[in-house]
Amino acid sequence: MSDVFRRPQMRATRRGVLGYSIAASSALALAACSDDGNGGEVDLEAQSKGAMEDYTADSQFTATEPFTLSLLWTEWPDLPITDTWQFFTEIENRTKVKLEITTIPFSDATEKRSLLISAGDAPTVIPLVYTGEENSFVSSGALLPISDYVEHMPHFQKYVEEWDLGGMIDNLKQADGKYYMLPGLQEVSVPVFTLIIRKDVFETVGGGIPQTWDEMREALVKIKAEYPDSMPLADGFEAWSLLNYASHAWGARAGWGFGDGMVDDGSGKLEYTAVTEGYKQMVEYFRGLVADGLLDTESLTAANDGSGGGSVAEKFANELVFAASGSSGTAIEFAQALNATVGEGNYEVLQIAPPGGPAGMVCEPRNFWNGFMLNAEVAESEHFLATLQFLDWIYYNPEARELLRWGILDQTYTKDASGKITLKPEYSLNAYNINPGAPTDIQEDLGWSNSVFADSTESRALKESYNTPTFVEYIDSVLSSRTPRDPYPPAPLNEMELEQASLLATPLKDTVDTNTLRFIMGERDIAEWDDYVAELEAQGLQQYVDLINTARTRFEEENS
Amino acid sequence: MSATKPTRSAGRPGGLTQTTGTRVFAVFNTIFLVVLCVVTLYPFITVLAQSFSSPGAINAGQVNFWPVGFNVDTYDAMLSNETFWRNYGNSVLYTVVGTLIAMVLTTTYAFVLSKPHLKGRKALIGIAVFTMFFNGGLVPNYVLISSLGMKNTIWAIVLPGAISVFNLLVMKSFFESLPKELEEAAQIDGLGWYGIFTRITLPLSKAVIATMVLFYSVAYWNDWFAAFLYLDKSELFPVTLFLRNLIAGASTTASEGAAAAGTTTALVSANIQAVTMILTVIPILCVYPFVQRYFVSGIMLGSVKG
Repeated sequence: MSDVFRRPQMRATRRGVLGYSIAASSALALAACSDDGNGGEVDLEAQSKGAMEDYTADSQFTATEPFTLSLLWTEWPDLPITDTWQFFTEIENRTKVKLEITTIPFSDATEKRSLLISAGDAPTVIPLVYTGEENSFVSSGALLPISDYVEHMPHFQKYVEEWDLGGMIDNLKQADGKYYMLPGLQEVSVPVFTLIIRKDVFETVGGGIPQTWDEMREALVKIKAEYPDSMPLADGFEAWSLLNYASHAWGARAGWGFGDGMVDDGSGKLEYTAVTEGYKQMVEYFRGLVADGLLDTESLTAANDGSGGGSVAEKFANELVFAASGSSGTAIEFAQALNATVGEGNYEVLQIAPPGGPAGMVCEPRNFWNGFMLNAEVAESEHFLATLQFLDWIYYNPEARELLRWGILDQTYTKDASGKITLKPEYSLNAYNINPGAPTDIQEDLGWSNSVFADSTESRALKESYNTPTFVEYIDSVLSSRTPRDPYPPAPLNEMELEQASLLATPLKDTVDTNTLRFIMGERDIAEWDDYVAELEAQGLQQYVDLINTARTRFEEENS
Repeated sequence: MSATKPTRSAGRPGGLTQTTGTRVFAVFNTIFLVVLCVVTLYPFITVLAQSFSSPGAINAGQVNFWPVGFNVDTYDAMLSNETFWRNYGNSVLYTVVGTLIAMVLTTTYAFVLSKPHLKGRKALIGIAVFTMFFNGGLVPNYVLISSLGMKNTIWAIVLPGAISVFNLLVMKSFFESLPKELEEAAQIDGLGWYGIFTRITLPLSKAVIATMVLFYSVAYWNDWFAAFLYLDKSELFPVTLFLRNLIAGASTTASEGAAAAGTTTALVSANIQAVTMILTVIPILCVYPFVQRYFVSGIMLGSVKG
């Protein structure tokens, strides 16, 4: 048997070498093709088939001749795509652009997207891209350096200027000084996840709605005194949500928002947040809460069911928890749970602005929302200019944004003189609990408000049009009382640095994650903080920081 | 089969009077196997119970062995879900066609490999075995399938995995164990190689064929990855991809905290997941009992030789 296995295997290896060479050369050929597309001369005059000559901001884009545009579509399990959606027919009616869909299941969307891009088989438009996700594809030349062409996108330019987003757009630049994705622009951005509190209990027992973490602690102490069995603060996301919105108050980055872990050290350099004094103070603060029985440790270690509800919602309902991390959706879940125990009308649930701290009354930096990237091959298309105009219209034109959210004006929704949008009674938008029970759902049946397009760019008015009054109140409270932090200074890495950085960053972050929780839970003595820093240093912390700072300096020099 | 019976009973030690030790062993053995059985069945029973429970009871963690808040609405909804049935139909098609192709290719390949006088036999084995240890990698495979024009067709699902080398080697060993004299007799009676294969070898190999059919059909039924790679239209997806989107999609949303942005990413209730899982495993559960009796003997017969 062993003979059967051994000898032929060696012979076959030679064939294997041949096979590998073929595979490798085709991959090279592929990369070369993409490079051609990227670096070649683009003659927009010749590639303006279907494009409008007089396309300007606030105009409707309609192709002068119909064309087809391929698009990557992520399918959510609860929203199966249907060819007959009004969304597709109406977009085609208005713009003469037919969308050709490549469907990928939401469960593995990013993996499939990577595969398609790497294999050079990606559709022209790749939506649902969050900032930073384009980084790993830049060096392959598979993506269009879209910054070279934004001059043909009047709506994009208009709203970047009007909403004061120019600085943030500059931060999208890669090591070559170009950016490769266009984000969804937000007129206002507020943290999605903050604290959901029992407003009535905080007002009667806790001494009002806390504005800082110190006030929060005082309130929690009072509530604990009134409800001795409770652990009034909880986080249903393994602490990652709590640390995310809390870290800003100490000038740090933590939890979901840890990112590359780098923050401004005040002198123009970057430092690793997890070894800063602010980070330590934050850890000590939460450690103190745990020691006094104010923070529900069980929720920090319990498996994350995704909603932030689950067992936390149960505790909320049974008055064992009075403040917990969550979004507006979590607030609704808590309210439903309380209806069953405390009874409707006997409680008030409120999402509050993230409390301030030593770093001031600050919250997370302003954010973009998802946008799109383009396959580099589009630069060879005869419809290149028309494609840019179409995407500019669909992503940034206010009428298009309203269309994508609400459907067709006067057919599915009406708008009064003050701009207030009302969905017609025969239509529902169940995802936001608007007109539940109406026969036609504008999302499921017609395709409007789909997550691929509708969430991206939003004016404040549009954002407020579909959210609940309490969420609108929350937006107001954040905007009026909190200052967004400055954006983290960009330090785009080149290909080699990117590889080195990912090798270093992963073990560092693992150590940070584990020990942050251990310190907070009281499993590790805070006196061992220096040992913890030494552990990070032993894992190449300095090398990592130097790497990022080199990139930072280079970026500053090139863009000054 | 009948030839093996006397050997088995003769070799059984318990045929004599049982000692205390044997009895104690039997008791413990039974207890152990019952516990093992419960441990194995428990997750399945829980999912079954969940599929008949109300979502509220599942979230509250009240469902273990019995449904709480009995509910068949989800079955009702799922049974009238068009996408689910279309994907289900696709799965059946891919499994049947895939298994058929795989069996034809595997049996014929194994048959030639089992003939020692075949020229280049070792090279042919080597080519197959090589693929057990090395492959082109994800992207080259994708480019290959794509440039062969097989994307978005059934062939992308059924052809790449049509010969499982493990199955091939088991089958080859099985064919080698068949008495050569039968073949020689058949040749003398005037049968060619095709005749020997179809009229002598295959009828004698029912056990191993049944086992391989089971292996291949389970593999094709469970496979979601090939479909994930090579299919771009949800109407072509197999039901396993539908299920994966439902289950993994929910947890991905969770881990990224993306659920918040819009409630469009609403979490799929555990109840719907349970119902889909139950409906998806039913066909395979039905196949097992019929093939199982061949299963043990098939795999043993193949593996002893060699």
